[in-house]
Formats: sequence, structure tokens, C-alpha cells
Amino acid sequence: MSADHTRDPCPIVVLSDFGGAFSMGVIGGCVWHGIKGFRNSPYGERGYGTISAIKSRAPVVGGNFGVWGGLFSTFDCSVKAIRKREDAWNAVIAGFFTGGALAIRGGWRHTRNSAITCACLLGVFEGVGMMMQRMTAQPTMAPAYPEDVKPLSA
Amino acid sequence: MNWLLGGSPQTQEHQGESSTLGFDAKEVSNISSFLGQPGLFDSQKLHPLAGLDRGIEYLDLEEEQLNTVEGAQGLIPSRNWTDDLCYGTGAVYLLGLGVGGAYGFQEGLQNLPANSSSRLKLNTVLNHITKRGPFLGNSAGVLALTYNLIDSSLDAVRGKHDDLNSVAAGALAGALFRSSAGVRPMGYSTVIMAAAAGAWCGIKRVLQ
Repeated sequence: MSADHTRDPCPIVVLSDFGGAFSMGVIGGCVWHGIKGFRNSPYGERGYGTISAIKSRAPVVGGNFGVWGGLFSTFDCSVKAIRKREDAWNAVIAGFFTGGALAIRGGWRHTRNSAITCACLLGVFEGVGMMMQRMTAQPTMAPAYPEDVKPLSA
Repeated sequence: MNWLLGGSPQTQEHQGESSTLGFDAKEVSNISSFLGQPGLFDSQKLHPLAGLDRGIEYLDLEEEQLNTVEGAQGLIPSRNWTDDLCYGTGAVYLLGLGVGGAYGFQEGLQNLPANSSSRLKLNTVLNHITKRGPFLGNSAGVLALTYNLIDSSLDAVRGKHDDLNSVAAGALAGALFRSSAGVRPMGYSTVIMAAAAGAWCGIKRVLQ
């Protein structure tokens, strides 16, 4: 598998992933909690409800996304450095550690279950990604040979 | 180490014509004068395997082109505005998280319950860290996100990147951040963010 040129090299890509995931979470949280705050407010206070829901909730969603993405990227880079190869298992292993690290305060059982769930989720993502890649890839054309080549008769 | 320290890509572009062509184009008056130059048809240079001792040349891939907006060469070389956004927001968010976490850590150490088990002490400290760290990190991250979005938009509109853009983007981001708290907090936050953006411009100039 060739290296991915759209992503930066390893130690510094963690910073980018932190920021990217955080931005994604904040913007998504604005939409999500904006709609939620709007719908859950009484008539006449819907604008205020939207703003206050966004203000109180969107940064938290962003923070959760950011920490998840940054931790995942950190573990991904560490796994790459240790295994010295890039394949789908990297993401699964990194997902295992990420899920475990985020749930580590909930006790041993919670940590284990969360790590396994996260690894399975990442495995499904990787599988779907590979399937999409295979579907969208250009089919390899067999070279067109002339149909019936007459044997040399002379 | 170019990707980390922000090397200077300008130096590779201005090598001058004489080094690439092998002669100076301005001094050529007619064909024979330049065909007769010594060393022009050197078989050592024209051989297909010539120049292997100089090392490997790499192709510049399209997606690795750096940002072409004037004055946008920052500390980390960026390709476009999403790079700026991700790196800026990520760095500020992590900084906020770290500073808030450190503050929470020392606060937790001061508030340790007396005669408690080590498990309870650990929990107290962790609770204080997770109370302070994410709050400061989230606020700082949202500020940096707004700042970077406005800054990149101003860059795109004006076609160049300078300190004025940064300060204006900082002021706008600060105003937006506290816009629902009243006029006075909004003014404070505007001034503080504009000053922070100006300070960042100064630091960037020193570090570069």
C-alpha cells in the first residue's frame, strides 16, 4: 500500500487531526443543538433558545470530537511507529486503545467493553472504506488481442 | 525537516536562467556564436545516465503545493485554508486544554480531602483537571476556529495575508464570542482578542 500523500507526516498530523475533529464537532454541534434548541423552546423564545443551546452545547460537542480524533491520531501514529507498516489493522488497534483510554475512569469492565466496541466500529469503517475503494476503482482492462490469428502457413 | 520548520521554498525558484540553460540567453547574438561555445555539447552531460551522482530529484505533486497567497508562509507550511484552520485550532485547543488541566491539577492538589484514601485523592485531582481543562480548551478552541475562519475569508477577499487581517479577524472573533453578553464584555473581549492576534503576529515574525 502506497503512502497517503494527502495527509501530513506522522508526529505533526496529530495537531491537524485535533483541530480538524474539533472544528467538525463545533460546526456540527452548532447545527444539531441549534435545531434542538429551536424545537425545544416555547414560542416567542425560540431565537434565544437556539443561541443559548448553541453557546452551551456546541463547544462541548467540539471538545468531545476533538479529543476523540486527537487521541485516535496519536494512537494511530504510535501503532504505525511500532508495527512499521500501514494497513487497516492500524486503525482497528488505534480504535481499541482510544475507546479504552476514553472510558478508563469508568472501571475495568466499562473500559474493556468500550475498547472492543470502538475497535469493532473502526473495523467496520475500514471495511466499508475498502469496499468503496474497490467499487469506485477503475476496472482493469484486459489487453485486446486479435481474435483469430492465422498460423503461418508458408 | 522542511515540513516541520517551514523551509524557504522561494530559494529553489530563483536559480537564474544561466544555471538551467548552460549559457546566458542575453549574450547570444547568432546561432554560430552559441553553437560554438565550448562544453555545450558535452557528451558527459548529454548521456542518458548523466547526473546520477547528484542524487534523486523528486516530483512536486499537485496536492503538496504550498499556499500561494501573498505573505501566507507561516511557521508550518500550509497548503490551503483548511490546513491553517486545522493546525491553528488544534494547537490553540491543545494549549487551552493543557493550561486548564495544569490549573485544575494544582487546584485539585490544594483541595485534597483530609484523611482520605489514595483512590479518593486521585479522583479529586482528576475531577478538578477534567473540570478546568476541557472548559478552557473548548473556549480557546472555539475562539481559534472563529479567528481562523474569518482570517482565511479576509485573506481570500483581499488576496494577501498581513497583520491587519489578523488583528481585524481577532477583533471580529472576540466580538462574536461575547456578542450575547452585552456591550461592555463584548468590547473587552474584542480588545483582548485583537491584542492577542497582534501579539501572535509579532511572535511569528520573531520565530520566522
